[in-house]
Amino acid sequence: MTLSDPQAPAGKLSRPAIEIDNLNKWFGSYHALRDVSLTVGEQEIMVVCGPSGSGKSTLIRCLNHLEEYQEGRICVFGQELARDQKSDRFIHQTMGMVFQNFNLFPHLTVLQNCTLGLTWLRKKTENEARDIAMGLLERVGIEHLADRFPGQLSGGQQQRVAISRSLAMDPKIMLFDEPTSALDPEMVKEVLDVMVKLAETGMTMVCVTHEMQFARQVADRVVFMQDGEIVEVGPPEQVLLHPQWDRTREFLDHIL
Amino acid sequence: MSEQDLKHFVPTPPRLPARNEQNLRHRIQKQCFNNIGNSLLTISVLVLIYYVAKSFLDWAVFNAVWDAATRRECLDISPDGACWAGVIDWFNGLIYGRYPDEEQWRVNSGVVMALLWLLPLMSQRIAYRNSILISWITLYPFLGAYMFLGGTFGQDVGIIHMVFTSLAAGYFILLYLNWVLCAAGQSSLPEMVTPLTSKLFRRGQHMTGFLLVWGFLSILCGVVLAQMHLEPVPVDHWGGLFLTLIIASFAITMSIPVGILLALGRRSKLPVIHWLSMMLIELVRAVPLITVLFMAVTLLPIFLPSGAEPDKLSQVLFAVCLFAGAYMAENIRGGLQAIPDGQYEAAQTLGLGYWLTMGLIILPQAMRLMIPNIMTSFISMLKDTTLVSIIGLFDIMLMARNISNDKNWIGLHTEPLALISILFFVMCYGMSQYSLNLEKRLKAHRS
Ligand SMILES: Nc1ncnc2c1ncn2[C@@H]1O[C@H](COP(=O)(O)OP(=O)(O)OP(=O)(O)O)[C@@H](O)[C@H]1O
Ligand SMILES: [Mg+2]
Repeated sequence: MTLSDPQAPAGKLSRPAIEIDNLNKWFGSYHALRDVSLTVGEQEIMVVCGPSGSGKSTLIRCLNHLEEYQEGRICVFGQELARDQKSDRFIHQTMGMVFQNFNLFPHLTVLQNCTLGLTWLRKKTENEARDIAMGLLERVGIEHLADRFPGQLSGGQQQRVAISRSLAMDPKIMLFDEPTSALDPEMVKEVLDVMVKLAETGMTMVCVTHEMQFARQVADRVVFMQDGEIVEVGPPEQVLLHPQWDRTREFLDHIL
Repeated sequence: MSEQDLKHFVPTPPRLPARNEQNLRHRIQKQCFNNIGNSLLTISVLVLIYYVAKSFLDWAVFNAVWDAATRRECLDISPDGACWAGVIDWFNGLIYGRYPDEEQWRVNSGVVMALLWLLPLMSQRIAYRNSILISWITLYPFLGAYMFLGGTFGQDVGIIHMVFTSLAAGYFILLYLNWVLCAAGQSSLPEMVTPLTSKLFRRGQHMTGFLLVWGFLSILCGVVLAQMHLEPVPVDHWGGLFLTLIIASFAITMSIPVGILLALGRRSKLPVIHWLSMMLIELVRAVPLITVLFMAVTLLPIFLPSGAEPDKLSQVLFAVCLFAGAYMAENIRGGLQAIPDGQYEAAQTLGLGYWLTMGLIILPQAMRLMIPNIMTSFISMLKDTTLVSIIGLFDIMLMARNISNDKNWIGLHTEPLALISILFFVMCYGMSQYSLNLEKRLKAHRS
C-alpha cells in the first residue's frame, strides 16, 4: 500500500475501520453529500476540512447514525449500517462523538456525565464506574473538577469532559465535529493537546477541524470537501502544502 | 523586542465596593415619599389597608363568639361578630366527614405515616432517594387504604391487598431502621447481610441483601397485622378535609406519570399513539372538570361490565387523575420542547435508548424547567377537588354547607367558608413557597 493511492487507508494497520461507498444524502431536495467514497483505516487519524456548508458535519453525522442517508453504504469494521434505523447498538458501542457545543448534560455533575453510560449500559457498579471515569478525567487533566456541574466550567474544560464522557464507553473510533470552534484561542490548545495524546494511543479518529497545525502534527490523511464532494484526499504535506486543486489552495490561503 | 524591554504587568489590588449605608427610614422616604403623587398614593393605600384589616379583625376576632350552643345565642351575644362556636361544634365533621369518632386516630396516623415516609428525603445523606419517592407512590396507597378502610386480614381484606400492605409496612420499617443506622454512622441493614448473601449468590449481592431484609420484615409485619382487627369504615363515610386531601394528593401524584406518558405519546412518531394521546388531551382540556366528573360517574358504569360497578370515590379518582394528567401533559410537553436537540444526540451517541434518554437526560431537565408551571397545576388541582361535593362526596365543601342546614346553626355560611379559605390559603401558599425553594436549590449549582 503506497501513499500515492489517495483513496487507500494510510493507517498503521491496513484493516479498514470505516468504508464509505458512494454515499448520497439529501435534505429535502438539497443534495448535501454527492457520491462520497472514503476508507478510514484502523488507527488512522483522518482530518476533514472544507468551507462552511460543504457537508463535513453531515458526513460525520451519517457515520454515527445521527442522520439518515439515501444512497450508498457505510461499513464499520465490516458491518453495514442500516440506512434509516436510528439507533444501532453496534454503532454506538463502536463510535464515540464529540460535538462543537459540547452537549454535556447540565443537570449532572462532571463525574455523573462520565459514569452515566457505564452504570446504565455497561452494568458497572458505582465504584468501578467511578474509578474508570476518574482515570479518564485525570488523563484530560480535570480530575479536580469532578464534582462540579458543566455550567460551572470553562469551554475548554467542558470539551475535555465531553471527550472523557465518550472515552468512558471505550469506543474503537472517535468522531470530532469541530471540537475547538466554540472555544477561545487560549482554550483551543488544551483541547488539542488532549486530542494529540489520544491520537498517540492508537485510536482511530475522524476529526472535522480547521486547526491545520493539528492536522500537520498528527493527521495521517487530510480530506478537503467542497459542496458535498470530496475534492482532495492525501497525506497532510501533500494536501496542505501542495494542493492539486485551485479550490483547495484558495481555502487554505483563507484560513492559514 | 527582548524580554528586558517589556514592561512588567502588576495587577491592581482588588478592593471592596463602597458600602451603600442607608437606614430603613431613608429608604422608605426615597421609595414611598419621593414626590407628592407617590406620597398621596402611599397614604391612601395605608388607610385602605388599615380599614380593611380593622373591619376584618373586628368581625373575626374582637367581636367574635367562641362559645355558644346555637346561632341564635351567637347573635344575641354579638350581632356583628363571627360565630366561631358553630365551626368549632362541627370541626370534626369538617376534618373527617362522617368517619366514626372512635376510629379517627386511624386517619391521623395514616396521614402522619404518609408524611413520615417522605421525611427521610430531607436528609441529604440517605441513599436511593428516588426509591423512597417511588415506594411512596406505589406502596403507601395500600397501607393507607388498609388504615382508612379497616377490616381483618383474610376476611374483608383481599389477598393482594394483604400482600402489598405487608410489603409497604415492611418497607416503612426498613426505611426508618436504615435511617437510624445511617445517622448512627453504621452501614445499612442490607449491607449488613451482604456477607451472608455473597456466599449464596454471585451477582447483584446488594439487591438480594435488600430484598432479603425487606421480605423478612414484610412477613413479620404481615403476621402482626393479621392479628389485628380494624373496624371497617366504608368509603361513603369518608369526608371532610381528609377526603379532599386524599383526592388532591392522588390527583397530584398520578398527574406526573400520566402526564409524562401522555406528553411522550403526543410527541411519538407512531401515528396511533400520537393521535390517541392528542385526542385524549384535547378532549379533557376542552371540557370543564365538573363535566368530566359527571361523565365518570354516569358513563363509566355503562362501559364496565355490570356488577363490577366501582364506588363513587374510585370513579372520582379516575376522573380527577385523567383531568390532572391532561393538563400536566401539556406542561411537560412545553418543557420537552425547551430541551435542545444536542441533548438527544449526545444521549444517542452514548448508546442510551429511548426510555433511558427520556428518563435520565430529557425529563429531569424538562421537569426542572417546568417547576413553576407544575406547581401552579398542583395548586389548582388542590382547589379544584372541592368540586367533587357537587356529585355528592362529603368533602370539606359539602360539610361546610351542611353546617348551615343543621337546625342549631341554620344560615351559618360565612364562618365555615372563612375557615376553609384560611386552610386552603395555608396549604397553597406553603406549596408555592416550597416550589420557590426547590427552584432556588436546583438553580444554585447551575450558573
Ligand atoms: N437539517 C438540515 N436541513 C436542511 N439542510 C441542512 C440541514 N443540515 C445541514 N443542511 C445543509 O447541508 C449543507 C451541509 O451542512 P453541514 O452542516 O454538513 O456543513 P459543514 O461543512 O459542517 O459546515 P460548517 O463548517 O459551517 O459546520 C449546508 O448547506 C446546510 O445548509
Ligand atoms: Mg459543521
